[in-house]
Amino acid sequence: MPSSVNALRIQIEHSLERRFSAALTPAPHTIRETAPTGIAEVDRLLGGGLRVGAISEVAGPESSGRTTLALSFVAGRTREGLVCAWVDAGDALDAESAAASGVNLRQLLWVRCRSAAPIAKGKPWPRLDQTLRATDLLLQAGGFAALVLDLGGTAPEHGMRIPLATWFRFRQAAGRTRCSLLVLAQEPLAQSSAAVVLECAPRRGLADCETVLSSFQYEVRTGRVAAATYTAPAAGLRKPPVATWQATSQWQQGKCA
Amino acid sequence: MRMKEELYACAYAAEFPAQALLRLRAELKSEPVAVLEGRAPQETVCSLNRLAHLRGVSPGMTRLEAESIPGLRLLARSVETEAAAHAVFLECVTHFSPRIEAASEGTSCAFVLDIAGTERLFGPPEALAARLRASLATAGFRASVAVSSNFHAARLKAASARGIAVIPHKQEAGFLAKLPISLLDLDEEHAETFAIWGICTLGELAALPENDLVARLGPQAAAWRALARGALPHTFQPIEAEFALREFCAFDTPVEQMDALLFVGVRMIDCLVERAAARALSLASLAVKMELEGGLAYQRAIRPALATADRKFLLKLLQLELAAHPPQAAVLSLTLAAEAGQSSQVQLGLFAPQTPEPSRLDVTIARLKAITGEDRVGSPVLEDSHRPGGFRMEGFAVGSGSGSAKSAVANRKRLALRRVRPPAPVRVQLRALRPAAFGDGERSFKVAAAYGPWRTSGCWWSAGVWDTEEWDVLADTASGASVACLLVRDCTRNEWRLEAYYD
Repeated sequence: MPSSVNALRIQIEHSLERRFSAALTPAPHTIRETAPTGIAEVDRLLGGGLRVGAISEVAGPESSGRTTLALSFVAGRTREGLVCAWVDAGDALDAESAAASGVNLRQLLWVRCRSAAPIAKGKPWPRLDQTLRATDLLLQAGGFAALVLDLGGTAPEHGMRIPLATWFRFRQAAGRTRCSLLVLAQEPLAQSSAAVVLECAPRRGLADCETVLSSFQYEVRTGRVAAATYTAPAAGLRKPPVATWQATSQWQQGKCA
Repeated sequence: MRMKEELYACAYAAEFPAQALLRLRAELKSEPVAVLEGRAPQETVCSLNRLAHLRGVSPGMTRLEAESIPGLRLLARSVETEAAAHAVFLECVTHFSPRIEAASEGTSCAFVLDIAGTERLFGPPEALAARLRASLATAGFRASVAVSSNFHAARLKAASARGIAVIPHKQEAGFLAKLPISLLDLDEEHAETFAIWGICTLGELAALPENDLVARLGPQAAAWRALARGALPHTFQPIEAEFALREFCAFDTPVEQMDALLFVGVRMIDCLVERAAARALSLASLAVKMELEGGLAYQRAIRPALATADRKFLLKLLQLELAAHPPQAAVLSLTLAAEAGQSSQVQLGLFAPQTPEPSRLDVTIARLKAITGEDRVGSPVLEDSHRPGGFRMEGFAVGSGSGSAKSAVANRKRLALRRVRPPAPVRVQLRALRPAAFGDGERSFKVAAAYGPWRTSGCWWSAGVWDTEEWDVLADTASGASVACLLVRDCTRNEWRLEAYYD
């Protein structure tokens, strides 16, 4: 019986060969390495976590949970003894928040770009240019498990001016050095070079006894997932397109502990 | 050839002031160069190279006479350069024997090595002399080497010979016979006496009867005769060479271009690495000192993550350091002083986490600092203070945090702040002493909920005093977007600032 089924399948595929290659044979599935973000809801949405050696974009307005998500991801990576870098276009990283999120600060290289740095020969580099040059250098150097390119404070109209060739180069370098490049921005910028785009949005703040801000709820949805990274869900199940997660304030964490 | 137990090798570098100045400046080696000493305008030539000698330059010429010779390059004598070159010369010869005696005279630099018993290490005396001369040539010196079982014979032969000379045992008199009597340290009166007698060579002096010579010239004549015969005994007085990795170069004209500076720097780094490698060491740090025009001084330190002997890597670090911190005036002299360190050996593991290569990371960080600024790259370290947002930047080094990785707190979904640096001043409308609306000039926010105030203050005893009132604010913009932010009122100035967003 199985042999006749195989023969039938080969016959059908042969007849459809001009229109579809291997129409009834399942496509080979490539297992891509992922690293968990540390937020279970987001990891479920992504099918394990963010891709290693690829560009992931986290886009959203202010207070949409982008920084919390990125810090959670970096914390997980540094806990494994890996080295990470944070290229900060707006000099916006809060070291206390990073430490409280579990990031091992000694294993985090922080590059704080500024608008007019006094450099050799007195040429000031615009902040965005500094950011891209620093990212390029770090990706080419290799050895960083995760690199956060923080353009969260950069206006989308400026971010859109980054040439596609730059993102393509970043993708190649990230793939070669097995570095997870996480881009924080207000709008997706990397386009086809991004393996996954997470669109974040704020939902609501929660107060304890109406006196202190205790936590904040965020919403995240997958805006774009490169075909190669998509893991097909089990038959009959639909993957939830949106996940809701919650981050709590430091004092609330202390109370829970 | 059978050698006696005593065996000496003399390394002799003539015209040392000129050699010291030229060894780091390869571009001058093909030019006739004379070195002047003394106060202007009464400067005289004290040293010269071979090409200058061929042009007719001689020691003692005045500056005016020297300047009349076309194509002659005149340099000022530098005592510091000579001292640095002297140390390098000594460093080179110490590789061949631990027992060394200084034998420099006039403008020469000479050391006599006790090489008895070194045959198993360096082979026969001819081989040792060849290796010694090659080693000195690598360091930039043109030296002659003579080997003899008599200390003085080796010194005299080295001073007169070019290249390598090996004097067999008991044949010293024959080898020294043709040397001029001027090699002996004679005073004017005795030199004149010998000239009247027609004694011009050491061989002629050695042939004179000893008793008659002493009767006419005194007891020192016996020593001269023994010296001429290569038979004067000597008590060896060894010196202890101090191991200091230091190179110095004074420029005859102030240097403004970095490329010209690096051209000399690369040669200095080569020499330092070579000297350290001879002791199986690497360079752990490199101190760059410059004397600038106008009496200014420049000092920087380069500290690679690991001790290294990679010339290109050190040169790149030097280049980036100079690009990030260029000297404020033209450079008069350059000094490179290195600290030696053990060569780094890293045991890699199959399951070790992926980390950046230390040497490559050094160059990357130096480049990043050149782009963003010195204090903008590193690892943040939280300060032991209650001041909100207090931290300092420290240098980033791979492996420094791996030990504490396990002690890091568990992963938490904690509300993270996104700082606004510098904090944006905002105008706040209050209702019942609580923020009701605020705006930064571009956008206006209507406060949906405000939690606070949380008051902090400190450092009242110093200029860094702070007294603030923090509010966690949930606000909506006119476009309907919601933000959660941290508003701070500076109580000392009664000013409101937007410090951070919850993101």
